Amino acid sequence: MRLNDCDPGFKHEVAAEPGGAGIRACFACAACSARCPVGANRPAYDPRRIIRLTLLGRREEVLASPLIWLCSSCYSCGEVCPQQVRFTEVLTAIKNIAAREGHAPPSAKITAELLAKQGRLLEVTDFENDKRSGLGLPPVQQRPEDFQAILGLKPSEGEAGEEPR
Amino acid sequence: MTNAQLDTPVLILGGGVAGLAAAVDLARRGVAATLIEREPRLGGRASQFCCKATEACARCGACRLGELLAQAAQLPQITIYTAALAVAAQPQNDGWQVDLAPQPGGEIGPGAGRPLRERTTLNTQAVILAVGGGAFNPAGKTRFGHGRVQGVFSALELEAMLSQGALGPDGLAPAKVAFIQCVGSRDASLGRLWCSRVCCGYALRMGRVIRKLLPDSEVTFFHMDVQDYGRAWEDELPLMRHQMRFVRAMPGEVTAGDGGPQVTYALAGEQAQKEGFDLVVLSVGLGPPNGASALGELFGAAKDDDGFLTADGGPAGVFVAGAAAGPRSLNESIVHAGLAASAAAVRVASLTEARHG
Ligand SMILES: Cc1cc2nc3c(=O)[nH]c(=O)nc-3n(C[C@H](O)[C@H](O)[C@H](O)COP(=O)(O)OP(=O)(O)OC[C@H]3O[C@@H](n4cnc5c(N)ncnc54)[C@H](O)[C@@H]3O)c2cc1C
Ligand code: SF4
Ligand code: SF4
Ligand code: SF4
Ligand code: SF4
Repeated sequence: MRLNDCDPGFKHEVAAEPGGAGIRACFACAACSARCPVGANRPAYDPRRIIRLTLLGRREEVLASPLIWLCSSCYSCGEVCPQQVRFTEVLTAIKNIAAREGHAPPSAKITAELLAKQGRLLEVTDFENDKRSGLGLPPVQQRPEDFQAILGLKPSEGEAGEEPR
Repeated sequence: MTNAQLDTPVLILGGGVAGLAAAVDLARRGVAATLIEREPRLGGRASQFCCKATEACARCGACRLGELLAQAAQLPQITIYTAALAVAAQPQNDGWQVDLAPQPGGEIGPGAGRPLRERTTLNTQAVILAVGGGAFNPAGKTRFGHGRVQGVFSALELEAMLSQGALGPDGLAPAKVAFIQCVGSRDASLGRLWCSRVCCGYALRMGRVIRKLLPDSEVTFFHMDVQDYGRAWEDELPLMRHQMRFVRAMPGEVTAGDGGPQVTYALAGEQAQKEGFDLVVLSVGLGPPNGASALGELFGAAKDDDGFLTADGGPAGVFVAGAAAGPRSLNESIVHAGLAASAAAVRVASLTEARHG
């Protein structure tokens, strides 16, 4: 590794993102790595390693890595962390930067498009609403507009606000 | 019934190394002091500690207690009561009036001091709080299994086991021992941000004692980084790295396995793994004294941000010595007690001068 290839500003960039500030407190104790269920199945996935690479300024290596998208958001790492780093949030900050730079994997894009189109991941159909009305509950509305604003995404032509078929 | 009356220039609360060192220091300056210890016997934590010498003295400080007890017993300026508790305190013009109550269990043991027999009212010009610190209760870190998983002990329990000779070829003979560091220290999730300063040192010294008692045993030291402040440490640490396995990772948890406790940890660049041990020792840290708030009420003693007692910003004539004021080793507590003793002596001298002048 050459120091010249490192970006010393990367850690500050991550810390400035919402949820990213916790990275400042990490002292690399590896308790998170010991408890992470994803790491238990995919050895290459190691929260402590992602933090160290970020602190070292390995910007491209981190942002382009497919590993950062594997987190299951189970928060086990946060539970054992002695420093309240909140790694799940730190990783979200890293993923937000990665997504802005076009590194989001196809699955993340599909997820975003589903949200923009349906306002939720699961499409609400007559099946769900019939069940709800049987229980005396009001039907669920698709309200994708909020997510479209948050994601800065427009669903493809003709599909916006379409009634469930 | 009226209380017995007693006048003393300096009252010292606590008969651990710090309280004893303050008393000895004052006596050598010609200032008389009364020391009260809540428990039936003197010594504080150090009385539970084993000698950690292997080939040579490990400078653990435990035998300083014996020296101090012997010195205190010889100095006529020092009066010691065991099984004595301060139950009320009133600030006076130039000092404090303190009510002492005898505690159960006071027997006359060997060495300095005798149990307090009756309620006593004591007038003093200065008070030194040398009540020691609390050791972290490892049950508060549930994931390390203390009290749940067989074979998990706190370092205090190991100290007692070693000093009673419970470990060795004829007793408990664990083949694999793990120490987990920083339990109850440097932990924002517990609100305990400080390094306890003594636990890396005591763990490595005890690890080395175990290796000497049981040469076939293997000792693993799970840590974040090694902190020790002792003399010659930089020479000893490289040697210790050959005698024990240093693993730079904090375990995720300790669970019950077939043959004993299992430790889950992740090495850099490797998948998290479970490893079985015969004995897992939790290196508990030091904290504020358990009765800090009671003493705060009695003497109006101030506390720092972490909850340790401090003389700064507190009432006049109240001083703090030893581990009550922050994490300290035995030797550091003794030095710190000397500072408190000199501050108390200065106050006594100036009050005496004012009275006669
Ligand atoms: C597991 C463990 C291992 C350690 N190992 C080492 C080591 O190897 N080397 C080392 O240098 N240090 C070690 N330490 C640190 C060491 O214990 C402290 O430095 C030392 O005990 C501090 O001395 P002290 O006199 O301030 O307090 P203590 O030794 O705690 O003594 C305080 C005394 O005050 C008494 N007391 C409390 N409240 C009152 C009251 N209200 N009135 C009257 N009396 C009261 C207590 O009963 C006690 O006797 C270790 C600590 C722990 C927890
Ligand atoms: S939240 Fe993500 S990184 Fe943390 S333990 Fe769960 S899967 Fe691992
Ligand atoms: S547990 Fe917390 S402090 Fe330890 S390496 Fe993970 S994020 Fe850093
Ligand atoms: S300082 Fe510790 S190791 Fe050295 S002789 Fe005294 S008790 Fe033993
Ligand atoms: S002395 Fe060592 S074990 Fe104790 S708190 Fe400091 S770093 Fe942790």
